Amino acid sequence: MMTYIVFILSVIFVVSFVGFSSKPSPIYGGLVLIVSGGVGCGIIMNFGGSFLGLMVFLIYLGGMLVVFGYTTAMATEQYPEVWVSNTTVMGVFLLGLLMEVMLVLYVLKSEEVGVVFEFSGVGDWAIYDTGDSGVFSEEIMGVAALYSYGAWVVIVTGWSLFVGVLVILEVTRGD
Amino acid sequence: MNPLIFTTILMTVLLGTMIVMMSSHWLMIWIGFEMNLLAIIPILMKKYNPRTMEASTKYFLTQATASMLLMMAIIINLMHSGQWTITKVFNPTASIIMTSALAMKLGLTPFHFWVPEVTQGISLTSGLILLTWQKLAPMSILYQISPSINLNILLTMAVLSILVGGWGGLNQTQLRKIMAYSSIAHMGWMTAVLVYNPTLTMLNMLIYIMMTLTMFMLFIHSSSTTTLSLSHTWNKTPLITTLILITLLSMGGLPPLSGFMPKWMIIQELTKNSSIILPTLMAIMALLNLYFYMRLTYSTSLTMFPSTNNMKMKWQFETKRITLLPPLIVMSSLLLPLTPMLSILD
Repeated sequence: MMTYIVFILSVIFVVSFVGFSSKPSPIYGGLVLIVSGGVGCGIIMNFGGSFLGLMVFLIYLGGMLVVFGYTTAMATEQYPEVWVSNTTVMGVFLLGLLMEVMLVLYVLKSEEVGVVFEFSGVGDWAIYDTGDSGVFSEEIMGVAALYSYGAWVVIVTGWSLFVGVLVILEVTRGD
Repeated sequence: MNPLIFTTILMTVLLGTMIVMMSSHWLMIWIGFEMNLLAIIPILMKKYNPRTMEASTKYFLTQATASMLLMMAIIINLMHSGQWTITKVFNPTASIIMTSALAMKLGLTPFHFWVPEVTQGISLTSGLILLTWQKLAPMSILYQISPSINLNILLTMAVLSILVGGWGGLNQTQLRKIMAYSSIAHMGWMTAVLVYNPTLTMLNMLIYIMMTLTMFMLFIHSSSTTTLSLSHTWNKTPLITTLILITLLSMGGLPPLSGFMPKWMIIQELTKNSSIILPTLMAIMALLNLYFYMRLTYSTSLTMFPSTNNMKMKWQFETKRITLLPPLIVMSSLLLPLTPMLSILD
């Protein structure tokens, strides 16, 4: 099972995305976002990125999603929608689940999948040890490179986040 | 809006487009598009009424979908070529998805439905920024990937855009919707010649931006957003009325005005590449565009449009001072004799 752990985690990832795309109330969307965040962290860690996985948990789940949860709790309605409360929501959720199950069976059964991409069965999800990353971990090198050679990226993303806050404040200010 | 915040947000729109145009890494291009989209939302929502909010939401949803498609095409390109530099996109799937994403950003058919609705819901100045500046970034990316674009898809979208831009504008009396359909048609002309000679795309973009800028400035000067309101300018500023005539005919592509130059060059380039039926169809469909421009000139400059007597004196606040209006008008009507200068390009 450990060879196919990334595949299993990816399936859970997609299922949780289907869960919030079928639009229940935002508080339940936040619930499956937590699950998908944790599973995404697992996927990243299986590729050797332990630092980045920890970032997902700390910043994404522990920072952004907590703020999202608080604001949703302030704006919640009396009878929030669950997946089983509304026929439409349940129908979309089941449809998404059905499509995912069909895709998984297709990938598992056939040798090659050629829908939009070409995958060679489940093999593409298994983690190989390429042997190149000997002494250093690639991922920490990448983070270090971001702050040295990639200073422009840091400036641009920092400015985007700052302007994002300005825009949100401006839009919600109204008159 | 607080002037400092407004300046910051406007500069961020400029910065986003600049980042798109000067980056060599696909991820930075995507970041530039997102920064551009994020920062233009409060500019579209300058007045807080339900129309502008709806228009901004529509714009945000379509452009965000286009950005998602662009990201998917970038990742497919990464998967198949292993690198992030901007070159032609070698994988056909990635190329088709990227072309569709950029067509959604430009407002080409079949993704044109947001252009009239968003342009109508916002103020004239915001509409000006939307229809001119926002076209620069996607067009620059199309220019850079032009060797690898699937010809069939792009030409189909271009010809359908010219048709929809001409046909859709026929029943409009609101000036912003007319300008939106005009934008769709001009984008169609630009992308039709992209695969054959991308320099002409840039020439058409330049002349189109000048003419659209002029038209919007003339509308802002007379504070008019409908045909009826525009038809009262003869009483207030007769000179502006004449200039509306000249600029509209230039937009329609009539010689000896500058709007004829890009159409002429594009038709010449297409016939040099042995496609005869296509430029014929495009020229015929441009007549639809010319028809509603001529209808505007008929009601504005050529006749005294019927209205009640108390509306004949146009009432507005103090005359707006429009920057650079005379040079813009001159450039958008008198550039045709400079056509031989195009030989210095490439």
